Amino acid sequence: MTNDISSAAAAAPAPVNGTTAASQTSSFTVKAGLAQMLKGGVIMDVTDAAQARIAEDAGACAVMALERVPADIRAEGGVARMSDPGKIKEIQEAVTIPVMAKARIGHFVECQILEALGVDYIDESEVLTPADDAYHVEKAGFSVPFVCGCRNLPEALRRIAEGAAMIRTKGEAGTGDVVEAVKHMRTVNSDIARAKAALQEGGDLAIRALAREFGVDAALLKQTAELGRLPVVNFAAGGVATPADAALMMQLGCDGVFVGSGIFKSGDAAKRAKAIVRATTHYRDAKVLAECSEGLGEAMVGISVSSMKPEQKLAGRGW
Amino acid sequence: MVTVGVLALQGGFSEHLSSLRKAADYFTESQSPIFTTRTSFRFIEVRTPEQLASCDALVIPGGESTTLSLVAAQSGLIEPLREFVKVSKKPTWGTCAGLILLSEEASATKRGGQELIGGLDVKVHRNHFGRQIESFVTDLELPFLSQSPNSETNETNTATPFPAVFIRAPVVDQLLTDNVEPTHGELNGASLSKAVLESKPKAAREKVEVLAILAGRHASNKKAAPGGAPPGALEGAGDIVALRQGNVFGMSFHPELTDDIRIHVWWLHQVTKALA
Repeated sequence: MTNDISSAAAAAPAPVNGTTAASQTSSFTVKAGLAQMLKGGVIMDVTDAAQARIAEDAGACAVMALERVPADIRAEGGVARMSDPGKIKEIQEAVTIPVMAKARIGHFVECQILEALGVDYIDESEVLTPADDAYHVEKAGFSVPFVCGCRNLPEALRRIAEGAAMIRTKGEAGTGDVVEAVKHMRTVNSDIARAKAALQEGGDLAIRALAREFGVDAALLKQTAELGRLPVVNFAAGGVATPADAALMMQLGCDGVFVGSGIFKSGDAAKRAKAIVRATTHYRDAKVLAECSEGLGEAMVGISVSSMKPEQKLAGRGW
Repeated sequence: MVTVGVLALQGGFSEHLSSLRKAADYFTESQSPIFTTRTSFRFIEVRTPEQLASCDALVIPGGESTTLSLVAAQSGLIEPLREFVKVSKKPTWGTCAGLILLSEEASATKRGGQELIGGLDVKVHRNHFGRQIESFVTDLELPFLSQSPNSETNETNTATPFPAVFIRAPVVDQLLTDNVEPTHGELNGASLSKAVLESKPKAAREKVEVLAILAGRHASNKKAAPGGAPPGALEGAGDIVALRQGNVFGMSFHPELTDDIRIHVWWLHQVTKALA
């Protein structure tokens, strides 16, 4: 999209969600391409310049600029919104790696603001309080790429249809419990297996029937079935707290990991951050995993998801 | 059997592996007279010094260069990589972050700098065009592809410009040697400024050969670089986006993100020539 409303309004069709549909194949290549360059890496939640530098020095491939980490959002309650632009700028100035930031589900004006700030990726995130209970942001018209959460393949493909260039599991943010991220990744994998089987056994007809059941675009579903994976990069997120958690998600087929509260809510943040980066690269090498799991000090205390009431879970936000 | 490794610490390594496999298939199917003997390739992911030691040639992919440096150091790979590139002089190709790692110097690095492998006597400018919103795809003329075996079988291959994908890309903004291939001072009508070519003699190594220049992006350079354009990039001058020095080949953009395998085919051909 362009930030120059006057020039856009002249020729473009009626704006959707405040954006103009000016997307091209090349722009999607560039958007999805950055996500491809983040693969095998760790994206860390940070709340200030000092944390951002610790993350960069530990080998993070990007940082997520936030006002509060999910564990604090959960503890403090209230409405969680986009960060103060001043905080985001401070973090952008502190590091040379990509800086991502979160916007509320459906809040396309927060997205316009984040794009104007020059963030490298926007996370339209269920961790913040949703701003629209019917629509996610129409993402294709923005120049800045988007990452969105999912619990299953239908959610992922609906976000991609809206223009998301990267997907992550929702998991259950701010808990330090990896169980939900595992469940979401396994669900995506088994949904993809179903799509593959449908294509093999019933061809286009079966894909169309499954697309109706999933509530997704049939062409995207067919593409997924042919590829045998999501058509964009897929990271793990929500509850990753240890090097072993990161390697578990990688072995389940994720392309990389987001670590939210897990690092800066632990005893020795710098050491844990480095260990999680190393575990994500060497995720199949159990000897290296043993080495980098040793002597990390206190992990984040966390909350067991099984003890939570449904209304306390963030993953149910979005659809 | 030629073993080609792709450094798989972080970034776009699987895309390179897939393009290399396609390029190798192209070789097998091609009846090009250049190949009197059939070369067979093996492609592997490299995460350890042992895996690196088994390689005849290496690709360093795009990713975050700071992450790649740190993970390479953690994995005990920095010295073996320097040995591979600068002592054994085995063919090595870096794209984007890989170009940064293969440069002797880098600017706009993170606080405290970052460890480089080196091999190319140049200084690169990281994130030259700015943030992600300044990333772009553009058609680039690549005259060096005319040395490729593609041209033997299909003339139109080299006439078509290459769809070059630049993502938070670096460019070479200074050559650190005066040992430059003279015929490449001008490419595609874009000329390099005198300041870029300004000599800074170093221990004589192989000649630096500029292979591609991107013209007409100067306005965004100015915007991206704090305090104006980086030293060496004068008004109207093009940016060096592909070059080689001996067996070390570097480029700013990402051929592995396209379906166009011409550069991978060209490079595998260079590898077979170097190993012959």
